[in-house]
Amino acid sequence: MKKTRLATVWLDGCAGCHMSILDIDEAILNVAARADVVYGPLVDAQEFPKAVDVTIIEGAISSQEDLEKVHAIRKRSKLIVSLGDCAVTANVPGMRNNIPPRKLLERIYIEGAQENKVIPSEGVPALLRQAVPVHQVVKVDLHVPGCPPPASAIAFVLGELLEGRVPNLTAKVKFG
Amino acid sequence: MPEKISIRIDGEYVAAQEGQTILEVARASGKYIPTLCWLESITPVGACRLCIVEVSGVNRLLPACTTPVQDGMSVTTHSEKLAAYRRIALEFLFTERNHQCAVCVSNNHCELQAMAQRLGVNSVRYAYTFPKLPVDVSHERFVLDHNRCILCTRCVRVCAEVEGAHVWDLSSRGIRSMVICDMSKPWGESRNCTNCGKCVQVCPTGALAEKGFAVEEMVKRDAKVTRLASRRGGHQ
Amino acid sequence: MIRIQDFSTFNAVREAGLAKLVPSRPRVGVGMGTCGAGNGAEGVYHAFAEAINRGGRDMKLASVGCFGFCAQEPLVNVRLPGKPLVILRRVEVSDVPRILDDMAVGEVPGDLALCKVESWDHLTAHVQYGEGFPRIPLWQEVPFFKPQKKIVLRNCGLISPDDIEEYIAIGGYQSLYKVLIDANPDLVIEQIKASKLRGRGGAGFLTGLKWSFLRAAVSDQKYIVCNADEGDPGAYMNRNEIESDPHSLLEGMIAGAYVMGASEGIIYVRAEYPLAVHRLNRAIDQARQSGILGDNILGRGFKFDIRLVEGAGAFVCGEETALIASLEGYSGRPRPRPPFPAQKGLYGKPTVINNVETWYNIAPIIAKGPAWFTETGSTKSAGTKVFSLVGKVSNTGLVEMPLGTPLKTFIYDVGEGGTNGKHVKAVQTGGPSGGCIPLEMFDTPVDYETLAQLGSIMGSGGMVVMDDDNCMVDVARYFIEFTHSESCGKCIPCRVGLDKSLRILNAFTRGEAKESDLDRLDEMGRMIRETSLCGLGQSAPNPLLTTMRHFRHEFEDHIRANRCRAGVCEDLALTPCENSCPLHMNIPRFLQLYKEGRLEEAFEAVVLDNPLPASTGRVCQHPCEDRCRRRMVDEPLNMREVHRFIADSIYASDRFDALAERIVNRKLPSTDRKVAVVGAGPTGLTAAFYLALLGHAVTVYESNPEPGGMLRYALPDYRLPKDVVRREVELIRRLGVEFLCGVAVGSDITLNDLDSQYNAVFMAIGTWKESWVYLPGTELQNVYPALLFLEAVAKREPVHPGKRVVVIGGGNAAIDSARTSLRMGAEVTVIYRRERKDMPAIREETDAAEAEGAKYAFLATPHRIVGDENGKVKAIEVVKTRLGEFDATGRRRPVPTNEIRRYECDAVILAVGEAVDMDFVRASGLRIKENGTLEVDRFSLETSRSKFYAGGDLISGASNVSNAMGFGKKAARNIDRRLMGPKRWDLIASAFEYDNSPPEQPVPGRRHATEELPPQERVETFAEAVTGFAAEEALEEACRCLRCDVKEHH
Repeated sequence: MKKTRLATVWLDGCAGCHMSILDIDEAILNVAARADVVYGPLVDAQEFPKAVDVTIIEGAISSQEDLEKVHAIRKRSKLIVSLGDCAVTANVPGMRNNIPPRKLLERIYIEGAQENKVIPSEGVPALLRQAVPVHQVVKVDLHVPGCPPPASAIAFVLGELLEGRVPNLTAKVKFG
Repeated sequence: MPEKISIRIDGEYVAAQEGQTILEVARASGKYIPTLCWLESITPVGACRLCIVEVSGVNRLLPACTTPVQDGMSVTTHSEKLAAYRRIALEFLFTERNHQCAVCVSNNHCELQAMAQRLGVNSVRYAYTFPKLPVDVSHERFVLDHNRCILCTRCVRVCAEVEGAHVWDLSSRGIRSMVICDMSKPWGESRNCTNCGKCVQVCPTGALAEKGFAVEEMVKRDAKVTRLASRRGGHQ
Repeated sequence: MIRIQDFSTFNAVREAGLAKLVPSRPRVGVGMGTCGAGNGAEGVYHAFAEAINRGGRDMKLASVGCFGFCAQEPLVNVRLPGKPLVILRRVEVSDVPRILDDMAVGEVPGDLALCKVESWDHLTAHVQYGEGFPRIPLWQEVPFFKPQKKIVLRNCGLISPDDIEEYIAIGGYQSLYKVLIDANPDLVIEQIKASKLRGRGGAGFLTGLKWSFLRAAVSDQKYIVCNADEGDPGAYMNRNEIESDPHSLLEGMIAGAYVMGASEGIIYVRAEYPLAVHRLNRAIDQARQSGILGDNILGRGFKFDIRLVEGAGAFVCGEETALIASLEGYSGRPRPRPPFPAQKGLYGKPTVINNVETWYNIAPIIAKGPAWFTETGSTKSAGTKVFSLVGKVSNTGLVEMPLGTPLKTFIYDVGEGGTNGKHVKAVQTGGPSGGCIPLEMFDTPVDYETLAQLGSIMGSGGMVVMDDDNCMVDVARYFIEFTHSESCGKCIPCRVGLDKSLRILNAFTRGEAKESDLDRLDEMGRMIRETSLCGLGQSAPNPLLTTMRHFRHEFEDHIRANRCRAGVCEDLALTPCENSCPLHMNIPRFLQLYKEGRLEEAFEAVVLDNPLPASTGRVCQHPCEDRCRRRMVDEPLNMREVHRFIADSIYASDRFDALAERIVNRKLPSTDRKVAVVGAGPTGLTAAFYLALLGHAVTVYESNPEPGGMLRYALPDYRLPKDVVRREVELIRRLGVEFLCGVAVGSDITLNDLDSQYNAVFMAIGTWKESWVYLPGTELQNVYPALLFLEAVAKREPVHPGKRVVVIGGGNAAIDSARTSLRMGAEVTVIYRRERKDMPAIREETDAAEAEGAKYAFLATPHRIVGDENGKVKAIEVVKTRLGEFDATGRRRPVPTNEIRRYECDAVILAVGEAVDMDFVRASGLRIKENGTLEVDRFSLETSRSKFYAGGDLISGASNVSNAMGFGKKAARNIDRRLMGPKRWDLIASAFEYDNSPPEQPVPGRRHATEELPPQERVETFAEAVTGFAAEEALEEACRCLRCDVKEHH
């Protein structure tokens, strides 16, 4: 049987969701047996590959880079899963949304800095006006909220997806 | 004695008394109808619209919390349409203000959060508003965080009807509606507030909380307040 | 003031009133409602007062209410003893002396007279004014008043609202007196029930039934309330009723109070209506002093009083439970019902709330009986309703119409159609909570049930007419914005749902909406409607849901094409002219370049927007002029003539080669993609131009010997010289476009061949086939289809129409045929079945034909063509038509009469419509729609067969040159996107630097018209009839541009 091409993406989030993926104990063996992880923070690939079956996204869309990335990902993925509150609701990254980015950066890098008071501009992508959930930018096929989502839910979702089914998550997950 | 009547809820016959609301009858017979603004023994206001039900022969949807039962009435509490509308109502609440459950004092003890889980709302299809809202920390013991408020007015009603202080009310209108203290004072400066904390205990979300609690630590005890209210004869 | 205690005192007051109303001396009544005052009625009143004083004239001067014809304010009525009451319109202070002078000699100024009233039925009494002034029409003969029936407005504009005696003079308070004397409340309630009167506030609940609830309620205290919190934008009937006739309201309420057993009445009136409040207060005072309110009403021992409460200024307070909360001193938020106010209302006591207009119907029903009342209106909706007819309609004003009257009567009879002859497309009924009803449904009878079925409501009676200049997305946005700001915020659906809806609609108007937003809006709208707590929320989505249902294509345009056809959504258009141009020419750009003396760059800018600038400069229908904002200063800009001038200047100069070179240099590198264009008419030429510019190899197939299509073979030389077309084709040729002329696709080469040889195919065949008409005699010699006739002339083929030619039709082909025949020495008669204003041809052309000697016969349709013994045309017989009902296009349908007319003639040219020859298309498996046009995707122009695109007449039916070219441009863009991917289009758009400072304050002047040869001279020849601008004229015209493209930078 052909292995499922699985990718995970870390956008504006704390990596907690990725840690929870690793937290699914022995279920990870099943995943390893049936899927090739073709992209992710722990994979060496530099560029997001083509023809991915399932892409799991952690984190909100916060920067210009996130925005471009997620459009490319949508084109190359059959199915996208938003994993965790940041991807599903913008959550903590969204708490800055009622402050204009320039003010925010000034507060942190100039008013809040002891020395070297300058807003970094090179090598860092520009912030979007607001951090938004993934599905506000591209179509998302499955939402798994939680901060982080419980490992049992992640194991269930992966198990079902690898079986070719769309998991029914009613009452299994919650925000927060 | 109020007259005994019979109605049908989701096809099942249940006994009821004239003067009871559909919600009261449903709850008494163990039928679940979702509610958020409703609170036992406090005047119902029919604001959250989660308790809407279908009544055969009536071409409108009716709120179960304020609609009195009538003999022979046939009520449907769950249907595809009702589920869709309840879902939208919940989505509206999540987008209206800033509900970051993960960092809320009421995380895991919140009625809004629990309702979303129960009704299967895993994501919100409408754009979030992300409004800029104040947090009133002026009171010695309590906090009012407008970011979490869903304008259910439980605090308003409990304070007026049970405590008799009428500290809370709503100001402005429409999307700009806000819960205010006295005539729009910081809570700490309220002369009417008795510091009883009833409003905090009945608040379904983390909008009203006691100070000194961290994320997930604020557990509400509304039963104490409703018991008190029912002993006073409720809203009648 | 006399206190009325019995019949004799009542009659004494009545006599006093009559002496004021119909005095034995001249009387002048100035309409002093808010509407009149807003148009200067106060100045007019004072001018009358002063002139009468100064001249010592024996005259009665009164201030009256409003007669309802807002578009004609200020209205003044004048009456000489024994003569009819004459209503004067648009009276200004300067008119006052001559009005008085005329009156002094027993006359009235005829030019100011709108109509006259010989006698008036106040329903409660009749007033006889007198007869005379035969030249002034009776009020019932004026179209605006003709379909109206005045029950509620029975006294408005005729009596003084400040004088209780005048009210009693016209039978006022008689119904109340009768009710008190009869002392049979149940009977009155039965009468109201039998009259089927329904609440006029909007919901339409049966008034009699509501009253019986309150009558049956047992309580020590009962209230009746008049809801005068009229808050709908555009609705002002309640204000006008109160300002013009406050006592009718009081009478209805006092009678109601008696039969329902209420002891106190409250009028909840908008604080924003100061004049209404003032007049009501005065009326209440007078009623108290006259013994009509108070402890012993009319001496019959009934005790009742009315107090006035000024509203808190919230729209939601019109909702009855919110109104009660407001009266009690709480903020105006609705409460759940049950309990209903009739059980538990104001201060927990039984209460009935009725709208102002409902109360106005009470006295007439009591006076004339329920059977009389049900004679008017429809079965379920009896009586009349007052509507405020506003918006894009010629006659605006307050109109009282029988319920059940079809919408088209409102729009076309009372309103006399759109403003400036524009095309009405929808009516919004019921204010912000109502829905939009499209033109196709103007047969709809206006009653409670039918409007509800269409997703609208009767509401308070607002009726806003919209034309093509209204964007329906913007209309929905406007009303949602209103209800959004007026939502009380209590329930979630209304509070949050309207906010979400508004945000999405705002995104639409900025061109930022997504496809899925349509579903979101629809589902939210339904949810808000079905789950909101009160009427405000339940009806707020109506404007949104109905516009989405009936005008979905406008919503789609905003998303998929980033276009707002009406040009309302400013973010989506550069300027109104650019938005209206099918080619979306950047008009201010070439005007500015030319203004700066940069002719060559102006030429480049023009050609890049429009590859046939000299041809379109001559023959375009110029929709840009209809939208030009310069119209507000003086006249619209003559834009097409400026680009004609720019193009002609280059074509005629030795710079043509150099400029053609410059355009060719803009070509993108070769793409190695091959595209076939079928048809070298304006559509095909335009597509070929852009496709070549985009780097594709383009081959154009044309069945005629030369490219140009209709431009070359249908438009006569005097409109468009052949050389001009050849020059423009030459430019396209230089871009590398290959023309294969004399090759007919379908017979010489098949679509399958094209499919195998090209990467994409664009089909742009014109309408060369004449529509088939059933007409005896079409087989006769000298009967020509218009296009074949024009083509034959263009090809210099021998055609001899003879001395007398009859042309049937009213489009451009008909006029071209007529003018061509004139040039061939014929006498020409053009026969058209509708009226002149309905002719689709360009107006300049119809006028020019007339000047050259063509005769028109309107309202006639061909019956048969008569031949002579040789089988040649001898005459044509036509049936005269008359104008019937309005059809779905908003024009009156011609209905044949029995009258037949005969025109002797030698030839008949039929220009009644053209069609495309679709046979080969059908054979190739392309889908054809029922109306005979090719099926394409509206946005991409792709046909049902992949990689085949189509545009022009083929998909739209016969149209005009600029529309056809618009399709060509759009197709080129979409074909390129298919072949190469997105965003390449911008590469061929070039930037020009020019001055972008806003123009100075414009000085009103005139537009430059082009020079026409004198008719008698030009009709002798096929030489061009209209010579273009001279350089300085073109420059001055360019300088008139207001530069709407220059926007303020934030």
